[in-house]
Formats: sequence, C-alpha cells, structure tokens
Amino acid sequence: MKDYKTLSGAPLHPEAKALTKRLAEGQIDRRGFLRAMAWLGVAVGGASMLGGKALAEEAPKDGGTLRFACQIQEITDPMMTNWIEASNLFRNSLEFLTYVDENNITHPYLAKSWTPSADLTVWDFELDERAKWSNGDAFQPEDVIFNIERWIAPDSQSSNKTAFGAISRVEKTGDHGVRITLSRPMASLPEQLYSYTCPIVHRGFKGNWPADPVGTGPFALVSHEVGRQSVFRKRPDYWGTPARLDEIQYIDLGPDVTTHLAALSSGQVDVIYRATIAEYDLMKSLPNLQILSVKGANTIVLRMQVDQKPFDDIRVRQAVVLAANNQQMLDIAYRGQGDLGANYHVSPTQADYFSLPPIARDVEKAKALLAEAGHADGIDIELTLGNTQGKWEQDTAQVLQQNLAEAGIRLKLNVLPASQYWPIWNKVPFGLTFWAHRPLGTMTLDLAYRSGGSWNESRFASPEFDAALDKAMAVVDPEARKVAMQEVERILQDNAVMVQPFWAERLSAAAEKVRGFVLHPSDYFRMDGVWIA
Amino acid sequence: MFVPYLKKPLVLIGGGLALGWLLVAIFAPLIAPYDPLQTLQPLAKPMVAGAKGELFLFGTDMLGRDIFSRLVWGARTVVIYSTLATLTAYAFGLLFGLIAGYAGGRTDAVLSFLANVVLSFPVLVLYIVIIVVIGASPVNIVIAVTFSSAPAIYRIVRGITIDVASRDFVKAAVTQGESTLRILFVDILPNTTGPLAVDFCLRLGYTAITIGTLGFLGLGLPPPTPDWGGMVNEGRAMAIAFPHLVIFPCIAISSLTLGLSLLADGLREVNDAKERHA
Amino acid sequence: MFLGMFLLRKVAIALATMLAVSFLIFLALEVNVEDVAVKVLGQYSTVEQRAAWLAQNGYNDPFLLRYVRWLGQFVAGDWGMSTFFRAPVVDMVLPRLAASAILAGGALLVIVIFGLGLGVLAGMRPGSLLDRMISVFSVVTTSIPDFASAVFLSGIFVFWLGLLPGASTMISGLSLAELVLPVSVLGLYSMGYLARVTRASMVDVMGTHYIRTARLKGASMGRIVLRHALRNALITPVTVIMLQLPWLLSGVIVIEVFYAYKGFGTLLYDAALNQDIYLIEACAMISVLVVVLSQILSDLLYGWLNPRITLGARA
Repeated sequence: MKDYKTLSGAPLHPEAKALTKRLAEGQIDRRGFLRAMAWLGVAVGGASMLGGKALAEEAPKDGGTLRFACQIQEITDPMMTNWIEASNLFRNSLEFLTYVDENNITHPYLAKSWTPSADLTVWDFELDERAKWSNGDAFQPEDVIFNIERWIAPDSQSSNKTAFGAISRVEKTGDHGVRITLSRPMASLPEQLYSYTCPIVHRGFKGNWPADPVGTGPFALVSHEVGRQSVFRKRPDYWGTPARLDEIQYIDLGPDVTTHLAALSSGQVDVIYRATIAEYDLMKSLPNLQILSVKGANTIVLRMQVDQKPFDDIRVRQAVVLAANNQQMLDIAYRGQGDLGANYHVSPTQADYFSLPPIARDVEKAKALLAEAGHADGIDIELTLGNTQGKWEQDTAQVLQQNLAEAGIRLKLNVLPASQYWPIWNKVPFGLTFWAHRPLGTMTLDLAYRSGGSWNESRFASPEFDAALDKAMAVVDPEARKVAMQEVERILQDNAVMVQPFWAERLSAAAEKVRGFVLHPSDYFRMDGVWIA
Repeated sequence: MFVPYLKKPLVLIGGGLALGWLLVAIFAPLIAPYDPLQTLQPLAKPMVAGAKGELFLFGTDMLGRDIFSRLVWGARTVVIYSTLATLTAYAFGLLFGLIAGYAGGRTDAVLSFLANVVLSFPVLVLYIVIIVVIGASPVNIVIAVTFSSAPAIYRIVRGITIDVASRDFVKAAVTQGESTLRILFVDILPNTTGPLAVDFCLRLGYTAITIGTLGFLGLGLPPPTPDWGGMVNEGRAMAIAFPHLVIFPCIAISSLTLGLSLLADGLREVNDAKERHA
Repeated sequence: MFLGMFLLRKVAIALATMLAVSFLIFLALEVNVEDVAVKVLGQYSTVEQRAAWLAQNGYNDPFLLRYVRWLGQFVAGDWGMSTFFRAPVVDMVLPRLAASAILAGGALLVIVIFGLGLGVLAGMRPGSLLDRMISVFSVVTTSIPDFASAVFLSGIFVFWLGLLPGASTMISGLSLAELVLPVSVLGLYSMGYLARVTRASMVDVMGTHYIRTARLKGASMGRIVLRHALRNALITPVTVIMLQLPWLLSGVIVIEVFYAYKGFGTLLYDAALNQDIYLIEACAMISVLVVVLSQILSDLLYGWLNPRITLGARA
C-alpha cells in the first residue's frame, strides 16, 4: 500500500485514511478515490495513475503555429464570461488556483497545496512562490483576495457569486498563504476553483482584460479582433514549464461546423473547437484527421419555469415529462452517441451520481394528468431554443414535439439564433438550455436549482431540496455522497422540473499532426502541452 | 386567344413544371405518402424498403421523416408564400403604378421617387433589415417580399399606363365622361397583362429562391415547417455521406424556378411576336 | 456641357435618394428608444441603467432632432460603436467592404467574360445547336440558387476531391485558391442572365440591315462580328452589368456566410443576428450608396455609348 502525502506536508485529513481503507475493500473505485483525495490536498499525480491509455512514446517537439477554429467573441472580464470559447482564450494567459484534468482529478496550479480543516469549512491555500505576472509583479495573496472579493461582492453579476456563496472570509496568512473560510462545508472547493469563470486576474485589474492583458500564463495576447481572430504567442519568461507551441491563432470561421470541417480537411486549420453529431459521418469519411470524443455531463435541459402558467401546475409538468421519450430523442436526434438521461441532471460520469432509475414513459397517465389539470382537450405550449450547440438541439425538440403530440400536448417551437437565445435563456417559461459539464453533480445543481440562484432558470424553489443539497455537498466520501445525492435527485425528479433527455458525447476533430490536444469534458482546453509532429 | 401560347414548347415545358408543382401543392395531402413531421426511420436511403416494408422514394432525413412527403408539403409552403407575397406585391404595384402613370405630374414624381428609394436597397439587405426589425415569421416574410417587389412592378405598370393613356381610345373614353376608376381598371389595366404575366412568372421564381435563401441563412420559416431551403441547410452537413438529403430539395427549387423562367421566356416570345404582328 | 448637366441632375437625385433612405433606416431601427437601449445595453441591463443611458445619449430628444443629429454624425464619419464587436463601426465597415469588393470584382470578371462570351456565341447564329446549348445552360444555371451550387461545389472540390480550400477567411492575406469557389458560385448564378441579355441584343443586331448587307457582300462571320456587330450589341449588356451590382451584393451575403469570408456580407449577417443596430444602419447605408453610385455609372455609360450607336448606324 502506497503512502499518501499531502501537497503541503500537513498531516493527512482524517477522511483520507477512511478513503484508503474503503478503496482497499473495493467499496469505491480508483477514480472516485483519487478525486476525493485530491480535494483533501493529497498529491495524486496525473492520469497515469488510472492506468491511462498506452500511447506510443514520441518525443515532443517545440515550435510551430497552431490554428484553432473557434468563434471569437468579446473578452472583457473573465468572471463575467458566459461563453466557454471565450474562457479558452483567457486560459492561455490567465491561470487558476487549481487545475482539473480531463479525468476530473484536481491538481495544483497557482496554488501548490491546500489543506482543509476537519469540518471542511476552513481552507488554507499555499500559493506557488515561483508564479509571476507578465508585467514583472510577483503573484501574491493579495491577487487571490482581490479576485475572490470581486466574485462575491454584493453587486457582482458573476455566476461565481452563487457558486462561491458559501465563502464568508478570505484572508492573507503569510507571504504565500491564503485562508478561505466557509459558512457551510464544501468538499469540492478546489475543484470549483477551476470553473471557467475563475481565472485569476492581476490585483490591479480594471475590468477590460484585452486593454491591459497582464497574466501569469504561458502565452501572451498579441491581438484580439472579435469575429475575426485572436493570436497568442509563447512567453519565454513563463514561470512554469514553458509551452511547446510558438503561437496559437484562433480563427473565427463563422457559426457553421461544416465550414470548419471543410477548412480542417483542406489544411486551413489544425483543430476545430467542436463538431456536432450532424457532422459525424462527414468526419468519418475524411482522411487525415483524428476524431476526438469524450463522455461527460454535457446535456440539454428542457426546463419549465415552475412559477409560470401553465407550468405552475405540477400535473402539466408531469404530463410533459411522462410523454417525453428520452430514448427516442437520444437515438434519433443524437444518433445514440451518448447516455440516457433521467430528468434529474446528474450524470453517470459525475462522481456523486446516484443511479436513480428513470420514471417510465406513460402517455396514458400523461393524458390523465392533463385532464385532471383541466386540459382534457390538450394544451398548447411553446418551447424556445437557440441551437447554441448545433442543430441537434432543434432535432431533439422536434422529436419531443412528436412525443408530446401523442398525449395531446401541442408543442410550438420558437427557434432563435444562438446569440439571441442567451439573453433570454433564463426568462422564457419553457426553454431548451445547454448545460456544460461540471465535475460534480452538486456543482450544477447548486447553480441551477438552488432557490434564488443566479442561474436558476426553472425558478425551482424548494427548501427541502436546498437542505438535501447542502448535506450532500459536505460529504467527502464518494459512497456516502452518492447516498446523500439520492434524496437530491429524487426531489428534482419528483418535481418534474425538466426533460433532460440525454448526455451528449462531446465530439471534435484535429489534424493528424496535432499531439497532446485532449478533449476536456468541460471544453477547457489547456494549450501548453500541445505540440505539432 | 391562348392558342399561340400553347404552340410554344417553352410555354408547354415551363408551364408543365410550374403547374405540376402547383398541383402538388394543392393536393399535397393526397400525394404525400407520410406525415411530413412524423419520425419513421432515420436516414433511409432512397428507393430502399424500410424496416416495415415502407417505400421511401427519396429516402428519409436524419429525424426519420420521409423526404418525398416533406418535399410535397414544402411545395405548399413555397407555393403559398411565394404566390401570396407576389400577389400582394402586385396589388400595391398595380395600384400605385396605375395612379402614377395616369395622374402624372407631382403624384407621379413623388411615387416614382419613393419606388426608386426602395429599389436602391439590395434585396437581401432589405430583407435582413426588415426581419431584424419585425422578426422572422411567415407573415413578415410576405411583408418583406411585398415591400421589396412592389416598386419594380410599379415601374412596369406606370410605364405601360403612360403609354396606353396617350392612345386614342383612352382619350375617347375620357371625353365620353367615363369615370377615372373605370378607365384605369377597364381600359388601361387589361393592356398590361402581357408584360406583367412575364414579370409575374420571373418574380415568382425569384421569390421562391429568396424564401429558400432565407431558410438557408436560418432567417426563414420556423421549424418544423417543411421548407426547401431549410432542408438543404439542415442536410448539408451530412451531404457527403447522405447526398439524398440535399439533392432532392435542390432539384425541387431549381425545377420550380426553371419552369417559371421557361414559361416567362415563352410568354415573352409570343408577346413579342404579337406586337410585331400588330 | 450636356454631360455636366446630366451628371449634376443624377447626383442631385442620388443625394435625395440617400436622404430618404437614411430616414427610412433611422425610422425603422431607432424610432423605439426602449428597443435601442435594450439592444445596446443588453437584456441584463436594469431599467435605471437604460434610462440613464438614453438620457446621456440624447435619446430623450424629439425624433426629428435625433435623426438630423444622427445624419450629421454619419456624414461626418461618426457611425457609432458596434455593440457586438465593441469597435467603431466605421473602422470595421470599410475594410470589410474592400474585402467584398475583391470577391464581387472577381465574380464580375467571371460574369462579364463568360456571360458576354456565351451570349455573343449564341447570338451569332440564332437557332444553331450551339445557341440551343448555351440557352439551356444559361437558363438552368440561373435556376439553381447560389446556396445549392455552393453545397455541391464544396462537396465535390473540397470534401471529395480535396482540391480546394473549404473556407475563405483570407485571414493570412489574399489567397487565390480561397477565391475560386466563392467566385465560381457567384459567377455561375449570375452569368446566365447576362448571357441571355447579350444573346438577345446580338440577335437584334445581327438581323439589322447593315449586317445582312455585309454578309451578302461575303465578309467572313468573324470579321462581321468583330468589326460591326459586337460594338453595337454590347450597349445593353454593359449597362445591365452595372445594374447587376445590387444583385451581386445580395449574392455576396449568402456566399460570404457559407465560406466564412470576412467581408461586408458576413458583417451584415453577424450584425443582423446580434441585433447590432449601429452596424446594421451603417451596412444598409453603405450598400444603398454602392447601388446608387452604380446606377449613376450605368447611366453615364449608357449616355456615353448611346450617341455612338446613332453615329455608327448613320455611317
């Protein structure tokens, strides 16, 4: 049995010993074990510890320019980012306190270690003393305090305000020490700190990053032009392991993925940000490219606002959920490339997933519920969507439309351009929203379904649910956490807040010569390890 | 009176195609073998029997909907909206054209100037601006087409009206004290039918293409309405593996437009011959 | 003297047109100030923020006053800030217009060469097999929408044969290879019309008395066409070419969006999708200006060519 050490050298958290024992007894799996150990500040190494895939060893090469097809949006304030594309631009120059890899395991980054108190409410972070800003300033606790205080300030518009609502105090404990005090236990704090709205900006940040692009990261911003391109160049004076690429050019090829693949196939770009299921056959038919895919908790949520007519009547919501055929939506709209959802927005790929069975489809019961709710002749409802991830959103909605028709629910589709959907995503009574992967189910649920949460688009408000969620978030042991999640998932499923038909496999493609580009389930692409063969 | 037209092969071929689509649109429920929105079997190839022995003439799309049925119902969308839009454009163009051509003077100057103003917008720019302001819906697309087409029709009608109004029989009618309305609609209007019939066919074709283009750009009719342009757009990502997704809708649009422009050519030739004869 | 008057009159009409167009555009996009505030500040803005912004930017003034001020600023080159791109509109529109000019120019070249060429060939011997073939070709190509031919040509030349680049961003400078597909698609769609006009004009000229006389005298066909017919036959087509410009400008939007070409068309498309009103205003104004200028040019060309026909005919 291996001896585990904490990153900080502090004694192991009491929970760590129990975890080790449970792993040995086969009660938890290795991945769950490593993830939980990482939260507690234990050094766990890389994915190789999972057995990893055996790749033919190739000596990495330095240099070259990588061209990345990606929509170029406005980048101003990292904490306000609501496009992951934009967050990937920040990721080249700005860093995070922690790093969560594609296996959902948390690693040191700007913080080289963290030590939670036994009750998980006081967290001591030790910052990497080597870290330096590109303007020459040293990276200090003041930077961290500046950032966290901005996130949770009373007038903060950032989604971080909800995500870190438990933080009650941030203070400096030494030249490189920061202490975060929480009002309630939160085991996943280190993982949370790698959310895409959490890049650490300089303590003198004025609110518009490209105007003064200071960062600690491996690349420096050269130019940024919305709708055209964004260029980053390798920083020779980077404090950590330098990047391999000399330059990365992000090129905006418009919204159409077929054009992106055309450009990839003719060698105009090396990596594309995303492919959708519609391009799957096209990708397979093209030579000279690698198809990348990863399973994760990426999904679409067709949620109903519980305080809006007619969805304020739970029977109407139940009828919609009962009439929906999740399997058919997965098979047809996503061509089976994913896992079935069961309408409670926690994925089997998330560590805290409790396998709560789906409620079986029952059209007759749906009809009966509708009649009971006073809609014996059926009901007209409208679903708003914006195809923000591709046309499969609309395809899913069209399958749903057919499903619901069987129960006398006449669904009208209101399809908007993606850019027009985001401004109203949390305002429409019935909307289809894409939710990105998060390593833990609780992280999503905390943002999306806690009473009054800033991203609570369904306006679901249940003290019972909030309490159950709090309980689950305080548990470190993976198995115990799963048990706690059962209640959380059940409340959400019973309340028929949403149709969450499936977990979509994430697809993309890259030129054959690209090495080290790993599809991250959250679309968080770190480019410093990427190189060109 | 129609005999010279029927002797023209262009008129017969073009008219046949256009009339064919019109009949398809009218009898869509009888012709389409399946519900155009119903999921049957995803991505069946054309002419291949389905799992339950169904025959998908043109195959099915990604959502398993029968493409032939969607084309047939899509004909209805195209024919209805193009015709409706063109007709409303004609109503306005005719009315103002007759007024301007007959009244002349300041009325004509003002109306012609306004027509010029609208005509100086590139068509698609005008559509995009209108759709940004009022949103994309079937009615709004009709409004946009009307707004952009009416001035061109106005110009044609105005020109003919000026010409006809100076002829003797109109002058005679005026001296006999016929009402202006009667002169406009009984004496002058019938003289415009020849050139307008040609223009009508061409314009209908352009409108069909425009509605397709709007659908292709994602600014057209909302799904799941079967819409030929939208079908091409939806299918093109998969066109390499499943070419039937785009080939058939493209043939549909092109054959309709082709029919209309052949018909227009034929009509024009007959009109020209008549004129020379006269 | 005559030309000067003619030009002056045309320019006056053009100015009046632009004035009316500007009023229409402003009316359509800015008559509702609440809407403007929402579009500029976004849906997340609060009522107070919008009210403050409206007051600060003079939106509480009467509509006509705002229009006159807007027009003044527009003429002075202050076209506002793009809400989506966060950059001055004027700095964006002009380079994009130049990019589109390259695309449209290439397409125009193809249209002129093939449209005129095919039209002349067909019109030389009306009713011949060549004439029939060209006529069928030109009516068929005008019936295929540009987006359809874009799908097919890309399918064949990019994905299947791998001969041409699939996106035409021109980000790393002018690339002829990237221009081939968009120019071909635009050209294919529009050349048919010009070919048909040219053919008709050519047929008319070939039927005239003096050409028939020349043929009876035994002059060779090539000589007749080059020396006598062509010059007269081209008058209508040349003016038609200028009138094709607004048409081409519409086609450019579809093709630029399809090939991710960073020109005026994608700019307008992005502006429309993002409700970027100042950018839409500028794009609409500029596209109308292009059309109006091309009309003046077309009139000038016609006026310049016309006296020469009468002279030629008399001789």
